[in-house]
Amino acid sequence: MLNFIARRTASMLVTFIVVSIVIFLMMHSIPGGPFDGLEMPLPDDIKSKLMAQLGLDKPLWEQYLRYMWGVTHFDFGVPYQSPGETVMGLILHAWVPSLILGGSGLLIGAPLGILLGMTAALRRNSWLDYVASAVSTLGLTVPVFVISTLLILVFAVWLKWTPASGWGEPKRWILPIMAYAAVPLATYARYARSSVLDALNKPFVTVLRAKGLSERRILFQHVLRNAAIPMVTIFLPMFVGIATGSIFVEAMFRVPGLGAYFVSSIDKRDYPLEMALMLLISAMFCISYLVSDILYALLNPRIRLDGDVE
Amino acid sequence: MTELSQSQSGVRIEAPDAPPQRSPLYFTWRRFTANKAAVASGIVLLVLILMAIFAPFITASGPNDQTFLTARLAFPSAQHWFGVDDLGRDFFSRIVYGARVSLGIGLSAACFSLLIGLPLGAMAGYLGGRFDWVTMRIVELFSVVPPLLAALLLATVTHGGLWAIVLIAALFGWKDVCILVRAQVKSFREKEFIRAARALGASPWHIIWRHLIPNSVSPIIVGFVLAIPLAMMLEASLSFLGIGVQPPTPSWGQMINVGMNFMFFYWHMAVFPTAALAVTILAASLLGDGLRDAFDPTLKGR
Repeated sequence: MLNFIARRTASMLVTFIVVSIVIFLMMHSIPGGPFDGLEMPLPDDIKSKLMAQLGLDKPLWEQYLRYMWGVTHFDFGVPYQSPGETVMGLILHAWVPSLILGGSGLLIGAPLGILLGMTAALRRNSWLDYVASAVSTLGLTVPVFVISTLLILVFAVWLKWTPASGWGEPKRWILPIMAYAAVPLATYARYARSSVLDALNKPFVTVLRAKGLSERRILFQHVLRNAAIPMVTIFLPMFVGIATGSIFVEAMFRVPGLGAYFVSSIDKRDYPLEMALMLLISAMFCISYLVSDILYALLNPRIRLDGDVE
Repeated sequence: MTELSQSQSGVRIEAPDAPPQRSPLYFTWRRFTANKAAVASGIVLLVLILMAIFAPFITASGPNDQTFLTARLAFPSAQHWFGVDDLGRDFFSRIVYGARVSLGIGLSAACFSLLIGLPLGAMAGYLGGRFDWVTMRIVELFSVVPPLLAALLLATVTHGGLWAIVLIAALFGWKDVCILVRAQVKSFREKEFIRAARALGASPWHIIWRHLIPNSVSPIIVGFVLAIPLAMMLEASLSFLGIGVQPPTPSWGQMINVGMNFMFFYWHMAVFPTAALAVTILAASLLGDGLRDAFDPTLKGR
């Protein structure tokens, strides 16, 4: 087990380093330098002195190492769009709305989805099963901004129950939370349905029935525990995907979260912020995949530890 | 006893009717047509494709004709089925021509995904070893980077445009094809007929091209069809954010973005492109799911 964890960690670390190099190179391939767009062109010697001061005259690999050294201390530099604070500070306060909305969306969507998928699997081919299939297909295929548009149209424009957008009093949180909940609801409905069905069709269920166990005990003690494994392992990556803010939900509902800052950092060519966000989100994905791989191996002792977890 | 001897000597007994030989393709087709949702979405998709191809015959006005400036923002009517947009263009024509962009990008991105993913997946599955390891690490790399954020960045660097979007979508779409093909090839690698081919001295290229790829047709088709909605979603998302297809080329994502600003008073500006996009993506993914279930019933419901 320890060997397995060590190997997965090393592999993820290598992946992350390669990702960081690719992102770094991509940022550097964008044309233009920090002193190109000034209204008064700088004399060449001043420019070269400034470049030397900022370390921009060093070879690329040295710049990369210096940057990564800062990253290990959570020092991502200063964002161009608000020079009064650090990138890390900006990310931390921008994260609050995303975390609140995305987190509650996930906490509402995931249990509902599990419930829906489970009942669909238990009542196969009933109307509930069709509803579950429809919900999971719609939620997984229709883009989030389409769902958001429909939510705003129905609840804010036609019914006038909630404000359409904004950030502030909790009344404004309802629609974005609903939009955020769509994806986990759909994903979990689909996963729960297929994994409960899978477990129900296993021979051990027949054996338990033959032994005379009640259906309820079979379901809660045996089937659900087996079916829970894939559902536990997809939770973390999904949490990272949702709680780091959706560009679209935040654009539609005008929420000042991480996603909104990502868009504005691209608009304003705010490279330090952009790079920090890319790196942070990739790192969180790396960690979440790693943890869920390990969880999967722990929860499912049948898995072969010498091979790759697929 | 006499009966038996009689039959042995003289009369030939008719063998019972052999069950008609049916190809696996026949059963695949049967499974596919039994899935009503998949058939319906196949038909919807076909209609949409025909609409996109024959767009000039369906609508009288071009997508950029501003002949209705007096009727700016008019609601749907018998004359303008989907109303008129903020610049006086017939909205129905724009939706129809938008299908060209959406489906065109979806199909060509799926082709490019296949072009990258198929050879890589087949080689990784057959050669195994170091090549497989490297390919899988690259796949892992692409699964760690959030595709939308990276696409956003790439689209800004390349300033959008149709082909840039196609290439970006392929860049993030090939890995699914690659994984599907790799799994299939890997399960066939040690089959007897492959060993026989190897024993006869066939080169790896020959084996992959003549034996393994023809045996991987079903994951290839499934991967191709499932890549289409992903690419269309990416295009719509980028265009929605204003860095995808540039106006005046009609794109549904872009129209939704504009429609959002008028939504409170002119609902048709947001509703029609939203519905068009949702229907198309839904049809493409239901068709892909149906094909996958038809080709491999063991995967049903995953």
